Amino acid sequence: MNAPLSKTIVIWVMVGMVLIVLSAPTLVVLGASFTSGNIIAFPPDGFSLQWYAKIAMAADLRDAFMRSLAVATICTLIAIPIGTLAGIALSKYAIRFEKTFQVYLLLPFTIPLIGSGIGLMLLFGQMGMLGQIWPIGVACCVINLPFMIWAVSASAGGLDPDLELAAANCGAPPISTFLHVTLPAVMPGVISGSLLMFILALNEFLVSLLLTDARTVTLPVQIYNSIRSIITPDLAAISVVFIACAALVIALLDRLVGLDIFLKSK
Amino acid sequence: MQTSKQAYPFRWRVMDAVENTASAVWPSRFSRGLPYLMLLPAALLVLLLVIGMIQIAESSAHRLDRSTFLPSEDYTGANYSQIFSTGLYWTVLWRSLLGSVVVTALCLVFAFPYSYLMVRTSSPLLRKFLLIALFLPFFIGQVVRAYGWLIILGNQGVANGLLGLVGIEPVRLLYNYPAVLFGLVQYMLPFAVLMLAPALAAIPEELESAANSLGASWWRTFTHIVLPLAKPGLVGAGLVVLTLSLTDFAMPAILGGGSQDFIANAIYDQFFRTSDQGMGAALTLILVGIGSLAVGLVFTLFGAGTLAMGRDRK
Repeated sequence: MNAPLSKTIVIWVMVGMVLIVLSAPTLVVLGASFTSGNIIAFPPDGFSLQWYAKIAMAADLRDAFMRSLAVATICTLIAIPIGTLAGIALSKYAIRFEKTFQVYLLLPFTIPLIGSGIGLMLLFGQMGMLGQIWPIGVACCVINLPFMIWAVSASAGGLDPDLELAAANCGAPPISTFLHVTLPAVMPGVISGSLLMFILALNEFLVSLLLTDARTVTLPVQIYNSIRSIITPDLAAISVVFIACAALVIALLDRLVGLDIFLKSK
Repeated sequence: MQTSKQAYPFRWRVMDAVENTASAVWPSRFSRGLPYLMLLPAALLVLLLVIGMIQIAESSAHRLDRSTFLPSEDYTGANYSQIFSTGLYWTVLWRSLLGSVVVTALCLVFAFPYSYLMVRTSSPLLRKFLLIALFLPFFIGQVVRAYGWLIILGNQGVANGLLGLVGIEPVRLLYNYPAVLFGLVQYMLPFAVLMLAPALAAIPEELESAANSLGASWWRTFTHIVLPLAKPGLVGAGLVVLTLSLTDFAMPAILGGGSQDFIANAIYDQFFRTSDQGMGAALTLILVGIGSLAVGLVFTLFGAGTLAMGRDRK
Protein backbone atom coordinates (compact mmCIF):
# COMPACT_ATOMS: atom_id res chain seq x y z
CA MET A 1 0.00 0.00 0.00
CA ASN A 2 1.25 3.45 -0.85
CA ALA A 3 0.98 5.37 2.39
CA PRO A 4 1.01 9.18 2.34
CA LEU A 5 4.24 10.71 3.56
CA SER A 6 2.65 12.43 6.56
CA LYS A 7 1.24 9.12 7.81
CA THR A 8 4.60 7.38 7.44
CA ILE A 9 6.33 10.19 9.34
CA VAL A 10 3.82 10.20 12.20
CA ILE A 11 3.98 6.42 12.58
CA TRP A 12 7.76 6.22 12.44
CA VAL A 13 8.34 9.09 14.86
CA MET A 14 6.04 7.48 17.42
CA VAL A 15 7.43 3.99 16.86
CA GLY A 16 10.94 5.40 17.16
CA MET A 17 10.09 6.94 20.54
CA VAL A 18 8.58 3.67 21.73
CA LEU A 19 11.63 1.73 20.56
CA ILE A 20 13.98 4.05 22.46
CA VAL A 21 11.91 3.91 25.64
CA LEU A 22 11.53 0.13 25.45
CA SER A 23 15.19 -0.61 24.81
CA ALA A 24 16.95 2.05 26.87
CA PRO A 25 16.99 0.20 30.24
CA THR A 26 18.17 -3.06 28.66
CA LEU A 27 20.99 -1.38 26.76
CA VAL A 28 22.09 0.72 29.71
CA VAL A 29 22.13 -2.27 32.07
CA LEU A 30 24.18 -4.20 29.51
CA GLY A 31 26.60 -1.30 29.16
CA ALA A 32 26.91 -0.70 32.89
CA SER A 33 27.72 -4.34 33.58
CA PHE A 34 30.97 -4.03 31.63
CA THR A 35 32.26 -0.95 33.43
CA SER A 36 35.66 -1.10 35.07
CA GLY A 37 34.82 1.56 37.63
CA ASN A 38 33.43 0.97 41.11
CA ILE A 39 30.34 3.07 40.56
CA ILE A 40 28.07 3.44 37.61
CA ALA A 41 28.86 6.72 35.89
CA PHE A 42 28.35 8.27 32.53
CA PRO A 43 30.40 8.23 30.38
CA PRO A 44 31.57 4.74 31.48
CA ASP A 45 35.03 4.23 32.92
CA GLY A 46 36.23 1.59 30.50
CA PHE A 47 35.70 -2.08 29.81
CA SER A 48 36.13 -5.00 32.17
CA LEU A 49 34.52 -8.28 33.11
CA GLN A 50 35.33 -7.91 36.81
CA TRP A 51 31.67 -7.67 37.88
CA TYR A 52 30.84 -10.92 36.16
CA ALA A 53 33.74 -12.57 37.95
CA LYS A 54 32.38 -11.12 41.17
CA ILE A 55 28.82 -12.40 40.78
CA ALA A 56 30.06 -15.80 39.64
CA MET A 57 31.71 -16.10 43.07
CA ALA A 58 28.70 -14.89 45.07
CA ALA A 59 26.98 -17.96 46.51
CA ASP A 60 23.88 -16.09 47.69
CA LEU A 61 23.15 -14.81 44.18
CA ARG A 62 23.68 -18.23 42.65
CA ASP A 63 21.33 -19.77 45.22
CA ALA A 64 18.72 -17.10 44.59
CA PHE A 65 18.92 -17.73 40.85
CA MET A 66 18.57 -21.48 41.38
CA ARG A 67 15.48 -20.86 43.52
CA SER A 68 14.03 -18.66 40.80
CA LEU A 69 14.62 -21.43 38.27
CA ALA A 70 12.94 -23.94 40.59
CA VAL A 71 9.94 -21.64 41.06
CA ALA A 72 9.58 -21.13 37.31
CA THR A 73 9.86 -24.87 36.65
CA ILE A 74 7.24 -25.78 39.25
CA CYS A 75 4.93 -23.09 37.91
CA THR A 76 5.28 -24.33 34.32
CA LEU A 77 4.83 -28.00 35.23
CA ILE A 78 1.56 -27.21 37.01
CA ALA A 79 0.33 -24.84 34.32
CA ILE A 80 0.81 -27.17 31.34
CA PRO A 81 -1.80 -29.86 32.15
CA ILE A 82 -4.24 -27.55 33.94
CA GLY A 83 -4.13 -24.75 31.38
CA THR A 84 -4.21 -27.10 28.40
CA LEU A 85 -7.32 -28.93 29.60
CA ALA A 86 -9.10 -25.70 30.51
CA GLY A 87 -8.15 -24.02 27.23
CA ILE A 88 -9.41 -26.94 25.15
CA ALA A 89 -12.61 -27.18 27.20
CA LEU A 90 -13.34 -23.47 26.78
CA SER A 91 -12.71 -23.36 23.05
CA LYS A 92 -14.23 -26.68 21.94
CA TYR A 93 -17.35 -27.23 23.96
CA ALA A 94 -20.56 -25.35 24.44
CA ILE A 95 -20.44 -24.79 28.16
CA ARG A 96 -23.32 -23.77 30.31
CA PHE A 97 -22.52 -20.59 32.27
CA GLU A 98 -19.61 -19.99 29.90
CA LYS A 99 -19.53 -16.27 30.80
CA THR A 100 -19.38 -17.12 34.50
CA PHE A 101 -16.50 -19.52 33.94
CA GLN A 102 -14.66 -16.90 31.90
CA VAL A 103 -15.06 -14.22 34.55
CA TYR A 104 -14.03 -16.72 37.24
CA LEU A 105 -10.94 -17.87 35.37
CA LEU A 106 -9.99 -14.24 34.69
CA LEU A 107 -9.94 -13.57 38.46
CA PRO A 108 -6.14 -13.87 38.61
CA PHE A 109 -6.02 -10.84 36.32
CA THR A 110 -8.81 -8.81 37.86
CA ILE A 111 -7.65 -9.30 41.44
CA PRO A 112 -4.65 -7.00 41.89
CA LEU A 113 -1.32 -8.77 42.33
CA ILE A 114 -0.88 -7.29 45.80
CA GLY A 115 -4.30 -8.69 46.72
CA SER A 116 -3.54 -12.15 45.34
CA GLY A 117 -0.14 -12.11 46.98
CA ILE A 118 -1.42 -11.13 50.40
CA GLY A 119 -4.35 -13.53 50.18
CA LEU A 120 -2.02 -16.40 49.33
CA MET A 121 0.42 -15.26 52.02
CA LEU A 122 -2.32 -15.44 54.67
CA LEU A 123 -3.59 -18.76 53.30
CA PHE A 124 -0.19 -20.44 53.01
CA GLY A 125 0.82 -18.94 56.35
CA GLN A 126 -2.15 -20.53 58.04
CA MET A 127 -1.35 -23.88 56.43
CA GLY A 128 2.25 -23.52 57.63
CA MET A 129 3.66 -23.72 54.11
CA LEU A 130 5.63 -20.49 54.02
CA GLY A 131 9.40 -20.79 53.87
CA GLN A 132 9.31 -23.38 51.08
CA ILE A 133 9.86 -23.03 47.36
CA TRP A 134 6.90 -24.86 45.90
CA PRO A 135 4.13 -22.61 47.28
CA ILE A 136 5.81 -19.73 45.41
CA GLY A 137 5.66 -21.81 42.23
CA VAL A 138 1.96 -22.54 42.81
CA ALA A 139 1.30 -18.85 43.46
CA CYS A 140 3.10 -17.80 40.25
CA CYS A 141 1.05 -20.38 38.37
CA VAL A 142 -2.25 -19.09 39.76
CA ILE A 143 -1.61 -15.44 38.98
CA ASN A 144 -0.50 -16.08 35.38
CA LEU A 145 -2.84 -18.97 34.54
CA PRO A 146 -5.00 -16.92 32.10
CA PHE A 147 -1.95 -16.54 29.83
CA MET A 148 -1.72 -20.31 29.50
CA ILE A 149 -5.47 -20.72 28.90
CA TRP A 150 -5.43 -17.97 26.27
CA ALA A 151 -2.53 -19.44 24.39
CA VAL A 152 -4.11 -22.91 24.29
CA SER A 153 -7.64 -21.77 23.48
CA ALA A 154 -6.32 -19.60 20.63
CA SER A 155 -4.70 -22.69 19.08
CA ALA A 156 -7.69 -24.91 19.78
CA GLY A 157 -9.97 -22.45 18.05
CA GLY A 158 -8.20 -23.24 14.79
CA LEU A 159 -8.81 -26.99 15.15
CA ASP A 160 -11.54 -28.32 12.87
CA PRO A 161 -13.91 -30.44 15.04
CA ASP A 162 -14.49 -32.69 12.02
CA LEU A 163 -10.93 -33.97 12.40
CA GLU A 164 -11.73 -35.40 15.83
CA LEU A 165 -14.98 -36.88 14.53
CA ALA A 166 -13.06 -38.42 11.63
CA ALA A 167 -10.60 -40.01 14.06
CA ALA A 168 -13.45 -41.38 16.14
CA ASN A 169 -15.13 -42.61 12.98
CA CYS A 170 -11.99 -44.53 12.07
CA GLY A 171 -12.27 -46.29 15.41
CA ALA A 172 -9.98 -44.22 17.62
CA PRO A 173 -11.16 -44.25 21.23
CA PRO A 174 -11.38 -40.89 23.07
CA ILE A 175 -7.91 -40.84 24.66
CA SER A 176 -6.22 -41.79 21.37
CA THR A 177 -8.17 -39.08 19.57
CA PHE A 178 -7.03 -36.62 22.19
CA LEU A 179 -3.38 -37.68 22.03
CA HIS A 180 -3.09 -37.97 18.25
CA VAL A 181 -5.45 -35.28 16.95
CA THR A 182 -6.36 -32.69 19.58
CA LEU A 183 -3.04 -32.39 21.39
CA PRO A 184 -0.85 -31.97 18.27
CA ALA A 185 -3.24 -29.29 17.03
CA VAL A 186 -2.96 -27.22 20.21
CA MET A 187 0.78 -27.85 20.62
CA PRO A 188 1.84 -24.36 19.42
CA GLY A 189 -0.41 -22.87 22.08
CA VAL A 190 0.95 -25.20 24.76
CA ILE A 191 4.53 -24.34 23.84
CA SER A 192 4.05 -20.57 23.69
CA GLY A 193 1.92 -20.65 26.83
CA SER A 194 4.42 -22.65 28.86
CA LEU A 195 7.36 -20.49 27.73
CA LEU A 196 5.37 -17.42 28.82
CA MET A 197 4.56 -19.03 32.17
CA PHE A 198 8.22 -19.93 32.70
CA ILE A 199 9.67 -16.50 31.97
CA LEU A 200 6.95 -14.64 33.88
CA ALA A 201 7.49 -16.85 36.94
CA LEU A 202 11.25 -16.40 36.64
CA ASN A 203 10.74 -12.63 36.79
CA GLU A 204 7.87 -12.56 39.26
CA PHE A 205 8.61 -9.98 41.88
CA LEU A 206 5.72 -8.80 44.02
CA VAL A 207 4.20 -12.17 44.87
CA SER A 208 7.67 -13.55 45.56
CA LEU A 209 8.41 -10.56 47.80
CA LEU A 210 5.32 -11.38 49.86
CA LEU A 211 5.84 -15.15 50.01
CA THR A 212 9.61 -15.40 50.48
CA ASP A 213 11.66 -15.08 53.61
CA ALA A 214 15.42 -14.92 54.07
CA ARG A 215 15.81 -18.62 53.24
CA THR A 216 13.72 -18.68 50.09
CA VAL A 217 14.48 -15.30 48.53
CA THR A 218 14.31 -15.38 44.71
CA LEU A 219 16.59 -13.42 42.41
CA PRO A 220 14.23 -10.51 41.56
CA VAL A 221 13.58 -9.98 45.27
CA GLN A 222 17.31 -10.20 45.98
CA ILE A 223 17.99 -7.53 43.35
CA TYR A 224 15.23 -5.34 44.78
CA ASN A 225 16.65 -5.61 48.27
CA SER A 226 20.11 -4.66 47.03
CA ILE A 227 18.82 -1.69 45.01
CA ARG A 228 17.48 -0.21 48.19
CA SER A 229 20.85 0.05 49.85
CA ILE A 230 23.36 1.00 47.15
CA ILE A 231 23.72 0.94 43.38
CA THR A 232 26.84 -0.94 42.28
CA PRO A 233 27.70 -2.45 38.89
CA ASP A 234 27.43 -6.02 40.18
CA LEU A 235 23.64 -5.57 40.13
CA ALA A 236 23.91 -4.73 36.45
CA ALA A 237 25.86 -7.92 35.87
CA ILE A 238 23.16 -10.02 37.59
CA SER A 239 20.50 -8.23 35.61
CA VAL A 240 22.28 -9.36 32.46
CA VAL A 241 21.45 -12.93 33.56
CA PHE A 242 17.78 -12.01 33.21
CA ILE A 243 18.42 -10.37 29.84
CA ALA A 244 20.12 -13.57 28.68
CA CYS A 245 17.18 -15.69 29.90
CA ALA A 246 14.72 -13.41 28.12
CA ALA A 247 16.72 -13.60 24.90
CA LEU A 248 16.86 -17.39 25.18
CA VAL A 249 13.10 -17.69 25.63
CA ILE A 250 12.47 -15.35 22.69
CA ALA A 251 14.79 -17.43 20.50
CA LEU A 252 12.97 -20.62 21.59
CA LEU A 253 9.56 -19.05 20.93
CA ASP A 254 10.70 -17.97 17.50
CA ARG A 255 12.18 -21.38 16.62
CA LEU A 256 9.37 -23.54 17.99
CA VAL A 257 6.20 -21.63 17.16
CA GLY A 258 7.22 -18.34 15.52
CA LEU A 259 6.78 -14.98 17.24
CA ASP A 260 4.02 -14.14 14.77
CA ILE A 261 1.67 -16.35 16.80
CA PHE A 262 1.00 -13.33 19.04
CA LEU A 263 -0.22 -11.27 16.09
CA LYS A 264 -2.90 -13.72 14.98
CA SER A 265 -6.35 -12.24 15.05
CA LYS A 266 -8.34 -14.25 17.53
CA MET B 1 8.41 -64.64 11.49
CA GLN B 2 5.77 -62.62 13.30
CA THR B 3 4.89 -63.61 16.82
CA SER B 4 1.56 -62.64 18.22
CA LYS B 5 3.39 -60.31 20.58
CA GLN B 6 4.67 -58.24 17.68
CA ALA B 7 1.32 -58.30 15.96
CA TYR B 8 -0.19 -56.62 18.96
CA PRO B 9 2.58 -54.30 20.21
CA PHE B 10 3.09 -53.41 23.82
CA ARG B 11 2.16 -49.77 23.17
CA TRP B 12 -1.29 -50.82 22.01
CA ARG B 13 -1.77 -52.81 25.20
CA VAL B 14 -0.88 -49.75 27.26
CA MET B 15 -3.27 -47.61 25.24
CA ASP B 16 -6.02 -50.21 25.67
CA ALA B 17 -5.49 -50.20 29.41
CA VAL B 18 -5.55 -46.40 29.46
CA GLU B 19 -8.72 -46.28 27.38
CA ASN B 20 -10.41 -48.90 29.56
CA THR B 21 -9.46 -47.08 32.74
CA ALA B 22 -10.69 -43.80 31.28
CA SER B 23 -14.03 -45.24 30.26
CA ALA B 24 -14.39 -46.96 33.65
CA VAL B 25 -13.65 -43.73 35.52
CA TRP B 26 -15.67 -41.51 33.22
CA PRO B 27 -18.17 -43.58 31.15
CA SER B 28 -19.24 -42.09 27.86
CA ARG B 29 -22.73 -41.41 29.14
CA PHE B 30 -21.10 -38.73 31.32
CA SER B 31 -19.59 -37.14 28.22
CA ARG B 32 -21.73 -34.04 28.62
CA GLY B 33 -19.87 -33.38 31.84
CA LEU B 34 -16.45 -33.81 30.24
CA PRO B 35 -15.74 -30.11 29.61
CA TYR B 36 -16.57 -29.36 33.24
CA LEU B 37 -14.18 -32.08 34.36
CA MET B 38 -11.50 -30.50 32.17
CA LEU B 39 -12.15 -27.10 33.73
CA LEU B 40 -12.12 -28.45 37.28
CA PRO B 41 -8.34 -28.30 37.96
CA ALA B 42 -8.12 -24.70 36.75
CA ALA B 43 -11.17 -23.79 38.81
CA LEU B 44 -9.61 -25.38 41.90
CA LEU B 45 -6.36 -23.50 41.36
CA VAL B 46 -8.18 -20.18 41.10
CA LEU B 47 -10.14 -21.17 44.20
CA LEU B 48 -6.92 -20.57 46.16
CA LEU B 49 -7.27 -16.89 45.29
CA VAL B 50 -10.90 -16.83 46.34
CA ILE B 51 -10.03 -18.39 49.70
CA GLY B 52 -7.25 -15.84 50.05
CA MET B 53 -9.76 -13.06 49.43
CA ILE B 54 -12.05 -14.47 52.12
CA GLN B 55 -9.08 -14.54 54.52
CA ILE B 56 -8.37 -10.90 53.73
CA ALA B 57 -12.01 -9.96 54.28
CA GLU B 58 -11.95 -11.80 57.60
CA SER B 59 -8.85 -10.10 58.94
CA SER B 60 -9.98 -6.69 57.70
CA ALA B 61 -12.83 -6.85 60.18
CA HIS B 62 -10.51 -7.03 63.19
CA ARG B 63 -8.97 -3.93 64.72
CA LEU B 64 -5.39 -4.08 65.92
CA ASP B 65 -5.30 -3.75 69.69
CA ARG B 66 -2.47 -1.27 70.33
CA SER B 67 -1.85 -2.49 73.88
CA THR B 68 -1.34 -6.19 73.09
CA PHE B 69 -0.53 -5.90 69.35
CA LEU B 70 -3.01 -8.66 68.63
CA PRO B 71 -6.09 -8.38 66.41
CA SER B 72 -9.30 -7.86 68.35
CA GLU B 73 -11.75 -10.73 68.80
CA ASP B 74 -14.89 -8.92 67.79
CA TYR B 75 -15.88 -7.90 64.29
CA THR B 76 -15.79 -4.20 63.54
CA GLY B 77 -15.78 -1.83 60.62
CA ALA B 78 -13.35 0.47 62.38
CA ASN B 79 -10.52 -0.13 59.90
CA TYR B 80 -12.69 1.04 57.03
CA SER B 81 -13.97 4.13 58.79
CA GLN B 82 -10.43 5.05 59.73
CA ILE B 83 -9.28 4.70 56.11
CA PHE B 84 -12.09 6.89 54.84
CA SER B 85 -11.39 9.56 57.43
CA THR B 86 -7.62 9.66 56.90
CA GLY B 87 -6.50 12.27 54.40
CA LEU B 88 -3.28 10.38 53.62
CA TYR B 89 -5.15 7.42 52.15
CA TRP B 90 -7.25 9.69 49.97
CA THR B 91 -4.03 11.28 48.67
CA VAL B 92 -2.53 7.88 47.89
CA LEU B 93 -5.76 6.68 46.29
CA TRP B 94 -6.06 9.79 44.17
CA ARG B 95 -2.41 9.56 43.13
CA SER B 96 -2.85 5.93 42.02
CA LEU B 97 -6.11 6.55 40.17
CA LEU B 98 -4.86 9.64 38.34
CA GLY B 99 -1.58 7.92 37.57
CA SER B 100 -3.19 4.81 36.12
CA VAL B 101 -5.53 6.87 33.91
CA VAL B 102 -2.63 8.96 32.56
CA VAL B 103 -0.50 5.85 32.02
CA THR B 104 -3.37 4.07 30.22
CA ALA B 105 -3.97 7.01 27.88
CA LEU B 106 -0.26 7.37 27.06
CA CYS B 107 0.14 3.63 26.53
CA LEU B 108 -2.80 3.38 24.16
CA VAL B 109 -1.64 6.40 22.13
CA PHE B 110 1.89 5.07 21.71
CA ALA B 111 1.04 1.37 21.44
CA PHE B 112 -1.35 2.00 18.58
CA PRO B 113 1.13 3.04 15.86
CA TYR B 114 3.56 0.37 17.06
CA SER B 115 1.05 -2.47 16.71
CA TYR B 116 -0.29 -0.97 13.50
CA LEU B 117 3.16 -0.93 11.90
CA MET B 118 3.91 -4.40 13.26
CA VAL B 119 0.71 -5.87 11.83
CA ARG B 120 0.68 -4.00 8.52
CA THR B 121 4.33 -3.95 7.48
CA SER B 122 5.12 -6.02 4.41
CA SER B 123 8.66 -6.71 5.62
CA PRO B 124 8.95 -9.86 7.75
CA LEU B 125 12.32 -8.64 8.98
CA LEU B 126 10.89 -5.39 10.35
CA ARG B 127 8.05 -7.31 11.97
CA LYS B 128 10.46 -9.65 13.68
CA PHE B 129 12.61 -6.75 14.85
CA LEU B 130 9.59 -4.96 16.33
CA LEU B 131 8.46 -8.19 18.03
CA ILE B 132 11.88 -8.82 19.55
CA ALA B 133 12.18 -5.20 20.72
CA LEU B 134 8.81 -5.70 22.38
CA PHE B 135 9.40 -9.09 23.99
CA LEU B 136 12.85 -8.40 25.34
CA PRO B 137 11.74 -5.80 27.93
CA PHE B 138 8.49 -7.75 28.51
CA PHE B 139 10.49 -10.82 29.52
CA ILE B 140 13.09 -9.01 31.60
CA GLY B 141 10.89 -8.15 34.53
CA GLN B 142 10.03 -5.02 36.38
CA VAL B 143 12.87 -4.87 38.85
CA VAL B 144 15.61 -5.03 36.25
CA ARG B 145 13.87 -2.44 34.09
CA ALA B 146 13.39 -0.10 37.04
CA TYR B 147 17.07 -0.60 37.84
CA GLY B 148 17.93 0.43 34.28
CA TRP B 149 15.93 3.63 34.76
CA LEU B 150 17.76 4.30 38.01
CA ILE B 151 21.03 4.21 36.07
CA ILE B 152 19.65 6.42 33.28
CA LEU B 153 17.83 9.00 35.37
CA GLY B 154 20.12 9.12 38.42
CA ASN B 155 22.03 12.25 39.35
CA GLN B 156 25.20 10.90 37.70
CA GLY B 157 23.16 9.02 35.14
CA VAL B 158 23.11 8.91 31.39
CA ALA B 159 20.37 11.52 31.01
CA ASN B 160 22.16 14.06 33.20
CA GLY B 161 25.43 13.20 31.48
CA LEU B 162 23.91 14.07 28.12
CA LEU B 163 22.41 17.26 29.54
CA GLY B 164 25.83 18.14 30.92
CA LEU B 165 27.35 17.88 27.43
CA VAL B 166 25.14 20.74 26.29
CA GLY B 167 25.92 22.69 29.44
CA ILE B 168 22.84 22.09 31.57
CA GLU B 169 23.26 21.58 35.31
CA PRO B 170 22.23 18.15 36.65
CA VAL B 171 18.50 17.94 37.27
CA ARG B 172 16.81 15.69 39.81
CA LEU B 173 14.92 13.34 37.50
CA LEU B 174 14.16 10.56 39.96
CA TYR B 175 11.90 10.11 42.97
CA ASN B 176 9.05 12.20 41.65
CA TYR B 177 5.61 11.52 40.19
CA PRO B 178 6.55 11.88 36.49
CA ALA B 179 9.40 9.39 36.96
CA VAL B 180 6.98 6.80 38.36
CA LEU B 181 4.50 7.39 35.54
CA PHE B 182 7.26 7.18 32.97
CA GLY B 183 8.45 3.87 34.41
CA LEU B 184 4.89 2.56 34.41
CA VAL B 185 4.34 3.53 30.77
CA GLN B 186 7.50 1.68 29.81
CA TYR B 187 6.41 -1.32 31.88
CA MET B 188 2.93 -1.40 30.34
CA LEU B 189 3.73 -0.72 26.67
CA PRO B 190 4.38 -4.38 25.74
CA PHE B 191 1.09 -5.44 27.36
CA ALA B 192 -0.78 -2.75 25.43
CA VAL B 193 0.83 -3.62 22.09
CA LEU B 194 0.23 -7.35 22.55
CA MET B 195 -3.44 -6.83 23.41
CA LEU B 196 -3.94 -4.41 20.50
CA ALA B 197 -2.17 -6.37 17.77
CA PRO B 198 -4.71 -9.22 17.32
CA ALA B 199 -7.55 -6.70 17.04
CA LEU B 200 -5.66 -4.71 14.41
CA ALA B 201 -4.75 -7.88 12.51
CA ALA B 202 -8.46 -8.68 12.28
CA ILE B 203 -9.17 -5.45 10.34
CA PRO B 204 -9.05 -6.21 6.61
CA GLU B 205 -6.53 -4.03 4.83
CA GLU B 206 -8.95 -3.69 1.89
CA LEU B 207 -11.26 -1.59 4.07
CA GLU B 208 -8.57 1.04 4.40
CA SER B 209 -7.78 0.93 0.69
CA ALA B 210 -11.47 1.30 -0.06
CA ALA B 211 -11.74 4.36 2.17
CA ASN B 212 -8.64 5.76 0.50
CA SER B 213 -9.93 5.26 -3.01
CA LEU B 214 -13.18 6.94 -2.03
CA GLY B 215 -11.12 9.99 -1.20
CA ALA B 216 -10.72 9.80 2.58
CA SER B 217 -7.46 11.19 3.97
CA TRP B 218 -5.42 8.79 6.09
CA TRP B 219 -6.49 10.61 9.22
CA ARG B 220 -10.16 10.26 8.30
CA THR B 221 -9.62 6.60 7.45
CA PHE B 222 -7.98 6.18 10.83
CA THR B 223 -10.72 7.86 12.86
CA HIS B 224 -13.64 6.40 10.90
CA ILE B 225 -12.44 2.90 9.98
CA VAL B 226 -9.43 1.70 11.95
CA LEU B 227 -10.18 3.18 15.35
CA PRO B 228 -13.80 1.94 15.62
CA LEU B 229 -12.83 -1.54 14.41
CA ALA B 230 -9.93 -1.68 16.86
CA LYS B 231 -12.28 -1.24 19.80
CA PRO B 232 -11.95 -4.79 21.19
CA GLY B 233 -8.19 -4.35 21.24
CA LEU B 234 -8.40 -0.92 22.83
CA VAL B 235 -10.75 -2.25 25.51
CA GLY B 236 -8.53 -5.24 26.27
CA ALA B 237 -5.33 -3.19 26.29
CA GLY B 238 -6.87 -0.34 28.27
CA LEU B 239 -8.22 -2.69 30.91
CA VAL B 240 -4.98 -4.55 31.40
CA VAL B 241 -2.91 -1.37 31.58
CA LEU B 242 -5.39 0.39 33.86
CA THR B 243 -5.67 -2.39 36.42
CA LEU B 244 -1.98 -3.32 36.38
CA SER B 245 -0.74 0.25 36.78
CA LEU B 246 -3.38 1.11 39.39
CA THR B 247 -2.14 -1.74 41.55
CA ASP B 248 1.57 -1.63 40.76
CA PHE B 249 4.12 -1.86 43.54
CA ALA B 250 7.63 -1.94 42.12
CA MET B 251 7.71 1.24 40.02
CA PRO B 252 6.42 3.56 42.77
CA ALA B 253 8.70 1.83 45.26
CA ILE B 254 11.88 2.00 43.17
CA LEU B 255 11.42 5.11 41.02
CA GLY B 256 9.31 7.00 43.57
CA GLY B 257 11.78 6.45 46.38
CA GLY B 258 9.10 6.19 49.06
CA SER B 259 7.63 9.62 48.41
CA GLN B 260 5.25 8.58 45.63
CA ASP B 261 3.44 5.61 47.15
CA PHE B 262 0.59 3.95 45.29
CA ILE B 263 -2.08 1.90 47.06
CA ALA B 264 -0.06 -1.31 46.82
CA ASN B 265 2.84 0.35 48.64
CA ALA B 266 0.52 1.58 51.38
CA ILE B 267 -0.80 -1.98 51.78
CA TYR B 268 2.69 -3.42 51.94
CA ASP B 269 3.68 -0.87 54.60
CA GLN B 270 0.64 -1.76 56.71
CA PHE B 271 1.59 -5.44 56.65
CA PHE B 272 5.36 -5.22 56.99
CA ARG B 273 6.20 -1.85 58.57
CA THR B 274 3.38 -1.09 61.01
CA SER B 275 2.31 -4.76 61.21
CA ASP B 276 -1.32 -3.69 61.26
CA GLN B 277 -2.73 -6.66 59.41
CA GLY B 278 -6.37 -5.61 59.75
CA MET B 279 -5.70 -2.18 58.30
CA GLY B 280 -3.66 -3.63 55.42
CA ALA B 281 -6.37 -6.17 54.70
CA ALA B 282 -9.03 -3.46 54.65
CA LEU B 283 -6.95 -1.42 52.20
CA THR B 284 -6.43 -4.51 50.03
CA LEU B 285 -10.13 -5.19 49.92
CA ILE B 286 -10.86 -1.59 48.93
CA LEU B 287 -8.30 -1.87 46.14
CA VAL B 288 -9.82 -5.15 44.94
CA GLY B 289 -13.21 -3.45 45.03
CA ILE B 290 -12.03 -0.49 42.97
CA GLY B 291 -10.30 -2.79 40.48
CA SER B 292 -13.31 -5.08 40.07
CA LEU B 293 -15.57 -2.04 39.73
CA ALA B 294 -13.42 -0.68 36.90
CA VAL B 295 -13.26 -4.07 35.16
CA GLY B 296 -17.01 -4.66 35.58
CA LEU B 297 -17.81 -1.19 34.27
CA VAL B 298 -15.68 -1.65 31.16
CA PHE B 299 -17.02 -5.19 30.59
CA THR B 300 -20.65 -4.04 30.70
CA LEU B 301 -19.98 -0.93 28.61
CA PHE B 302 -17.74 -2.42 25.93
CA GLY B 303 -17.66 -6.23 26.36
CA ALA B 304 -14.57 -8.26 27.18
CA GLY B 305 -12.69 -7.20 24.03
CA THR B 306 -9.54 -9.20 23.35
CA LEU B 307 -9.62 -10.39 26.97
CA ALA B 308 -12.27 -13.01 26.21
CA MET B 309 -11.12 -16.61 26.50
CA GLY B 310 -12.67 -19.40 24.50
CA ARG B 311 -15.14 -19.51 21.67
CA ASP B 312 -17.02 -16.26 21.42
CA ARG B 313 -14.07 -13.96 21.03
CA LYS B 314 -14.66 -11.05 18.73
